[in-house]
Amino acid sequence: MNRRSFLRGVAGLASLSQLSGLRGLAAPDAAVSAGFRLADVTSSAGISFQHNSGAYGGKLLPETLGSGCAFLDYDRDGWQDILLINGMDWPGHKRQRSTLRLYRNNRNGTFTDVTSPARLDLEMYGMGVAIGDYDNDGFPDILITCVGQNRLFHNTGKGTFVDVTERSGLGKRLAFSTSALWFDYDHDGLLDLFVCNYVKWSPERDVFCSLDGKHKSYCTPEAYRGETCWLFHNRGNGTFEDATASSGIFDSSSKSLGVAMLDHDGDGWIDLLVANDTQPNKLYRNQRNGTFKDAAVEAGLAFSSDGRARAGMGVDVADFANSGHAGVAITNFDNEMTGLYEFDGKSYEDVAAQAGVGLPSKNTLGFGCVFLDANLDGWLDLAVANGHIDETVRNIRGNVGYAQPPQLFLNNGKAGFRDVAAELNAGFDQPKVARGLAYGDFDRDGDLDLLLTTNNGPAYLYRNDQLAGNRSIRFRLVGTKSNRDAIGSTVRIVAAGMTQSRMVKSGSSYLSQSELPVTFGLGKNDRVESAVVRWPSGRAEEFKNLSAGHCYECVEGKGISEQDGF
Amino acid sequence: MYARGVARVHPAKRSPTLGLLLGLIVTLAAVVAYSAYITRQVKGLRQLQSGMIDRNRKDSLQLLRIQNDLNLLAVAMRDMIDNDEPYPLTAWSAQFRRIRTDLEDAMRVEAALAPMSRTREQSAELSSSLAQFWNAADRVFALADKGNQKEAREQIQLSLQARQAALSTTVSRLLVRNSENENEAAQRIVQIYDRVQLQVYLFLGATLIAILLTGFSMIRWNRRLFAQISELSERRSELAQKLIATQESTLRYISRELHDEFGQILTAIGSMIGRAGAHAPEGSAFRDELQEVREIAQDTLNRVRSLSQALHPVMLDEAGMLATIDWYLPTMERQSGIAISYEKQGAPFELSSTAAVQIYRMLQEALNNVARHAEAKQAWVRLRFLPATLELEVEDHGVGFSARPARQGIGLVAMRERAELLGGQIVFTTPVEGGTRVHVSVPRANVEAGAKEKS
Repeated sequence: MNRRSFLRGVAGLASLSQLSGLRGLAAPDAAVSAGFRLADVTSSAGISFQHNSGAYGGKLLPETLGSGCAFLDYDRDGWQDILLINGMDWPGHKRQRSTLRLYRNNRNGTFTDVTSPARLDLEMYGMGVAIGDYDNDGFPDILITCVGQNRLFHNTGKGTFVDVTERSGLGKRLAFSTSALWFDYDHDGLLDLFVCNYVKWSPERDVFCSLDGKHKSYCTPEAYRGETCWLFHNRGNGTFEDATASSGIFDSSSKSLGVAMLDHDGDGWIDLLVANDTQPNKLYRNQRNGTFKDAAVEAGLAFSSDGRARAGMGVDVADFANSGHAGVAITNFDNEMTGLYEFDGKSYEDVAAQAGVGLPSKNTLGFGCVFLDANLDGWLDLAVANGHIDETVRNIRGNVGYAQPPQLFLNNGKAGFRDVAAELNAGFDQPKVARGLAYGDFDRDGDLDLLLTTNNGPAYLYRNDQLAGNRSIRFRLVGTKSNRDAIGSTVRIVAAGMTQSRMVKSGSSYLSQSELPVTFGLGKNDRVESAVVRWPSGRAEEFKNLSAGHCYECVEGKGISEQDGF
Repeated sequence: MYARGVARVHPAKRSPTLGLLLGLIVTLAAVVAYSAYITRQVKGLRQLQSGMIDRNRKDSLQLLRIQNDLNLLAVAMRDMIDNDEPYPLTAWSAQFRRIRTDLEDAMRVEAALAPMSRTREQSAELSSSLAQFWNAADRVFALADKGNQKEAREQIQLSLQARQAALSTTVSRLLVRNSENENEAAQRIVQIYDRVQLQVYLFLGATLIAILLTGFSMIRWNRRLFAQISELSERRSELAQKLIATQESTLRYISRELHDEFGQILTAIGSMIGRAGAHAPEGSAFRDELQEVREIAQDTLNRVRSLSQALHPVMLDEAGMLATIDWYLPTMERQSGIAISYEKQGAPFELSSTAAVQIYRMLQEALNNVARHAEAKQAWVRLRFLPATLELEVEDHGVGFSARPARQGIGLVAMRERAELLGGQIVFTTPVEGGTRVHVSVPRANVEAGAKEKS
């Protein structure tokens, strides 16, 4: 047993002891030991959202899976706004009108609902969201995945959005789409679009499934045929062409729910990791010629360590071990444990059990998951949104509830994680039927706040308040030759001898999109000795002697500028 | 001389060692043979398990993997025929390639694991069927690539699906065959277990018989040995007692001779010299010399009497043991300088002369031991005339047995023999205060005068 395995084992034991009852014994100042507190500011910030799954008793599959959320700076004022995706009533069962919600950041901790002024006051059965400036005009555009027709909204830059679905060539494509992301797979400086599809489902194709033989229940995906994911190539003229088949992405057996971008082979070309439900996960390696090749089996990401295809839901990729190579988190069904994969130089190894993430996630059904440095200690932590799909699950499995507490696993920097959700106050650990999860620094205080959605319930905004005095530094990247959002860029910093890296990424988590700026926790350090930015164009730039407590705007090829505060 | 005598009485018998050794060798040989048998059976079981059942199961897993891939192909082909995707049939080529990679890998692994019973024809059938399927698939994609979507779909229905179904059937048959193999192996295992069980019972039976025979033999030899030892012990005791008796009678004879004969002679010599001296002139040198001779004669007489008393106190015969002890203890105190406390309990009964001598000798030996070895200044002598027994106890608080030289003289042995001669027993213990307590206990019936003596 090497040192790392040993430390993981110790961390696993620590999490076990936590399961055995320490949760309820958290001391009043437990948040202090975690180094931060989460404050539920949903109401005070003016967020009033209720997700409508459309459930009327028909137990239609999409009802239990939505919806997502996003942090985006749609008005480019430097303050993160909030987008919450919504479903709608099913045809023939109309009871209410429900639309997505766009909340503009008032720069004082509150938000204003601007859905109508932004002309997004539209009904659709929305599932997920991907934010990307596909036309490089400086204003983020919105793709909303739906049950039925996905919608692309172009940001006019004047506070309004225009539905360009048909015009862009994304129309007339009906499917059960889930997560999506924007990335530039062919390095032409334009963001292309990847969309996950779940199964071939429509109200007409709905299958009767039952747990007790009498009453209808939600079917597992085995009841439906898979559906290929889609890859749309950005032509650069506001339209997209379907590159699904030509790129080798096409796979009619996939039942995809989550997607994350990564540079698995370090060649500077973005690869994709797709989490599939009851089907092998896919790692599409970019062949640098417009095609992809699935390498998930060789990489050890397709199956669980016992060779089964798990029910992959959400996925995130980040260098949580500060090893220079990204690790992976994939949330799964209850009794399957969250997968936490670390790269060993050749392939990925699921270290969830040893790292203390496995056992605490054994009885939870995870959806959204994000790596973020919640306590700004320089090590990426893992937040997970949990909630079952079946409200009667407790009748069948007594130790598994429909509503489940979200989890926040703190990374101790020694290959061990510990769930501190119960120590963060604000009811973060109150059981919820959570789905979407995203992070963003909406109050510009340098730490990452959390946005969480629930199925057929409210959304929650948790403000992160640092208690240990840890410092941070943020980078907002603007591409010139590369795509303007700089999606796919990596930032690697060295501070006090510690190297950390982040990727500017779209997608990840489940149906959600976190903010594009990247945040590094620095602990008590005031300075960053070096920061290297690698752009999708291939360009690399190094900046030295940067100060903590600031956000730096870095424009590709034009240097870096220190912002006033974050 | 003693050994020779014993040998004459008990001629040499056959030693049991050879028999026991033979038994041991037979038992060990049986254990080795049985171990070899069991090892062989376990090896056979393991081979059956790993070579057949495990291999069969691994092979079945690979066959299931192949079957799963074939099912994926079937689903993909169904999607291709359904034509509800906005993609040309060539879009499925990547999916087919992925499945093909996995299928070929599974086929390769399966071929290595295939059971021995698989015929060459069966193996060839599977691989050739698969090759034909991929050829057909390639043709379908070639057609699709040229834009002949309709014809390609027809080919899927006419050729590809049929081949896939045939392949699936072949794999199913192999799975069934594996299942049958597994059942056969399970039956063979049951047979092996039955055989081993029977052998175990036989071995246990044989072992039990061997143990019983060895046990009976051991008991027989032990009994014989004990009888011999007992006889030898009795003879040794008899001899010892005879020796003691001979010694006592010899000593008594010498003592009497010394006392009676030499005593009278010396007394007579003394009287005669006295008378002769009376005739000698008063004050003459001759008279003085005669007086001197008379004194020597008297001194010699005293010495002879003392020696006679020491060899066998005449008092024992004449005045009895109690009086002798009353005389002896002060004498011993004077000679050894040890203060002796004497305690007498119970109503004395008259002892036979033999018993009196033996008990007196034991007392003598015990006190001599105290004087020689105990380094004690005081000793206690207790004589108890109990209703059924006579007890003699000699106790000192000296250095005790453990501190004395390991080699004990013949004295202790003689004491034990004397006690046994009287049908009693002698016990050596250590008092709380330290030292030694010699406890002699003899039945009254054996020592009382007039009662029948043991020897």
